[in-house]
Amino acid sequence: MPEYAKMKKPDVKLVILGDMNVGKTSLLHRYMERKFKETISTVGGAFFLKQWGPYNISIWDTAGREQFHGLGSMYCRGAAAIILTYDVTNWQSLVELEDRFLSLTDTANSDCIFAVVGNKADLTDPEAGLKEEEEEEEGEEEGGEGEKAERPARPPPTPPSPVARRKVHREDAIALYGRILRYKMLDERASLPAEKMCFETSAKTGYNVDLLFETLFDMVLPSILKKRSGNDSPTVDLEECRGAKRTKAGCCS
Amino acid sequence: MEKEHQEIEQPKAVRCCDLPSNCDANQTGSVEVPATISQDNPDAGELDCGIEDPFPCKGDDAAITSTNGLSEPQGAEGEGAPASALSDGTAGEADGLSKPEGAAADEDDPPENVSDSASTDNTLEDSNEFMVTVLARGGLEDQADGTPSALSEAGGPAQGPAPSHRDEDVTAESWRRHRKHVFVLSEAGKPIYSRYGNEEALSSTMGVMMALVSFVQSGDNTIRSIYSDEHTVVFVQQGPLVLVSVSCSRQSEQQLRSELLYVYRQIVSMLTQASITRIFERKKNYDLRRLLAGSEKILDGLLNLVDSDPSFLLSAVHCLPLASSLRDSLSQILQKAITPNLVFSILIAKNQLLTIVQEKTVIEDARLEPADLHLLLNLIGASSAFQAGEIWTPICLPLFNPDCYFYAYISYLDPPECTVCLLLLSTDKEAFYAVAECKRKIDEGMRTQNALRSIARAQSYSASQVGVSDLRHFMYKPFDVPDNHRQLTQFTSPEMEAPYSSEEERMRLLDLYRYLHSRIHSSSRPLKLIYHVAERETLLAWVTSKFELYTCFSPLVTKASAINAITKLLRWIKKEEDRLFIRNPPKYSTTPNPSKSSRGGKGGSDRQDTTDNGFLSLL
Repeated sequence: MPEYAKMKKPDVKLVILGDMNVGKTSLLHRYMERKFKETISTVGGAFFLKQWGPYNISIWDTAGREQFHGLGSMYCRGAAAIILTYDVTNWQSLVELEDRFLSLTDTANSDCIFAVVGNKADLTDPEAGLKEEEEEEEGEEEGGEGEKAERPARPPPTPPSPVARRKVHREDAIALYGRILRYKMLDERASLPAEKMCFETSAKTGYNVDLLFETLFDMVLPSILKKRSGNDSPTVDLEECRGAKRTKAGCCS
Repeated sequence: MEKEHQEIEQPKAVRCCDLPSNCDANQTGSVEVPATISQDNPDAGELDCGIEDPFPCKGDDAAITSTNGLSEPQGAEGEGAPASALSDGTAGEADGLSKPEGAAADEDDPPENVSDSASTDNTLEDSNEFMVTVLARGGLEDQADGTPSALSEAGGPAQGPAPSHRDEDVTAESWRRHRKHVFVLSEAGKPIYSRYGNEEALSSTMGVMMALVSFVQSGDNTIRSIYSDEHTVVFVQQGPLVLVSVSCSRQSEQQLRSELLYVYRQIVSMLTQASITRIFERKKNYDLRRLLAGSEKILDGLLNLVDSDPSFLLSAVHCLPLASSLRDSLSQILQKAITPNLVFSILIAKNQLLTIVQEKTVIEDARLEPADLHLLLNLIGASSAFQAGEIWTPICLPLFNPDCYFYAYISYLDPPECTVCLLLLSTDKEAFYAVAECKRKIDEGMRTQNALRSIARAQSYSASQVGVSDLRHFMYKPFDVPDNHRQLTQFTSPEMEAPYSSEEERMRLLDLYRYLHSRIHSSSRPLKLIYHVAERETLLAWVTSKFELYTCFSPLVTKASAINAITKLLRWIKKEEDRLFIRNPPKYSTTPNPSKSSRGGKGGSDRQDTTDNGFLSLL
């Protein structure tokens, strides 16, 4: 049993933050389950383990609601990467990242990687809207054939005037990324370039979703290796201490 | 106004279902009314009196009342001959328009005049004020004459199924036709939640509701309910929140009140009572939706459950029948997987309880109330969007301790089917990884015992298994399971089978049960035994000091055979009780780390601690 438990021990932590309704859960759902589903508002946070090569990457999908804000720093503690998500059709969602969510990242690792992600790109970008993946959008479990039959009937997912609804441009996100680095007091030249760390995605069509997660996974690998080689984790592992104590007590008694 | 509470019976003036459209239509004589008087409604009214079946569905139409009645001239229709107004609306309507002065509507008017709402309507510009005056009088005057409401015409012909969306048109007839509306507002009259339609669109309606509440309050009194012939409007005030139910479900006021309390508690479970109070102390007109945004579905889900799941009516928990040996071994698995500050371990399958293990000291301090468990079950049901992950969320158990949070770990043990759900409650907000470790142990334990398969095989049972002919369904709630009085209140009930397999039939049976329940628990005239012959079935309800029992028989049963059947049923339950109920809920001791623990249900000092580290402190 302990072996099983060990096996599942996460090596590195990734956290998704962002305002309500920007599509954090949908992004993760698209990546993990390969489909888009109407989700309902997340309560608290949800924890997932993703096997990435020989490593276990834990992903925290958090609630965007202010109500659950208090747990934010707990989710972020020791994070190796943080995905700050906004909605490209909602300017406020980008503002909130800076106002509300950036301070939650204080508990993350000092070498934490940040990604700024504009979701719902299918609403503004015809390319993102069209680039549909093999999976059906509405991810209904049953009736594979029925879906196929339906597909031709469905009008192409091009909203009437896509570009008109765009509220946040890529430059705004890049600017935010710069401010994040400054907030973290990181040297812009030594850090990953903004162009690489700002994504526009669509959980609905799958556009850029894999790219986002897999880029990040690859980027956090060094941090895993570092953690494995030297036991120089910046945070104290309470669990380990507690476990150690307990075994000691066991020996004595 | 007499005692501390007043019940306002106000057939005309206060047809509360009318309120909404009132406001929407700006009180200037509404257009739709004249045309819409529907002829069927009088009939529906008559039918309602049918003795056999307390809930004729036909009544539904009548519920739609032309909202304008109150503040609008047409209200006058009712004036002369209320009855005729029903059948002949058009004539009255012309009248109504012509007499705006009738309104007067000052508090000093002799109440007698007011018995007819029509005379008071028209002139007032401000519908809120208007409503208040009418209501006040309603309260004063005696309604002994019992004039039927003149305003009960059905509104437009609106047909078609009502979309149960948030963006439903609140001026539509279909909106008014909903069986049960629930509104939540703040004391400042700010909308917080509406079961149907967007709260924002209903802000003026909610303003009227608040006006009603505060007007009655200004007379050192509390508004509790308003009755019209189709609707019951129940008000519940809890701290800074006001909850209103507008129902044509024929449920008793008491039942509606307890449903509103569930809604309140669900809100508390997300925010805690302390923080709600604190927020409104600081800012009276705070928009609570800021904090509840996204939780509407949880409340929607709760209200649907309340309507369809008798656990809420009985305030008891429904357990999945399970061989006691299996249940014990499940409990043991839970008992072994503990970590400091873990207080409850709960296993749920198919929305029914499998087993529950509690921390020892908790069990001595307080017990988990069924209502708290219902809220948890609803939360799980409503948050199943993403079932593969492990959820960690703060949650307050309002009856256990309304002011502090537990941290709930929720995870399914059998993805991707997701039928068996594990719920672990800790008092330590940082304990996620430790608690997740408990889940791994539980997973492991279940695997070695192959328990998941046994659980999957567990079925609810059918009434036919009891072996009593004519018995179609029953609900049995013992008061003494088992010898331990600190037991979780439970009930048992078979699957609803034919003829109750359709949604409507199920609802009809539940409505009958609700009716019997209201008779048994009537505050004025409680009953111990009811033998109720309805149109399509015969029901017998019986409450003793040991149990509460509701049974449903085929319509041809005789009184003697029904009683005989009940004896047999009780014997069967006795025989099966180890399987049907959780008999001895096990305990564990997690010896909480004193610096971290914040056990609920204790003294005040504890509470303060916990609310402080609650996250609303940022507000």
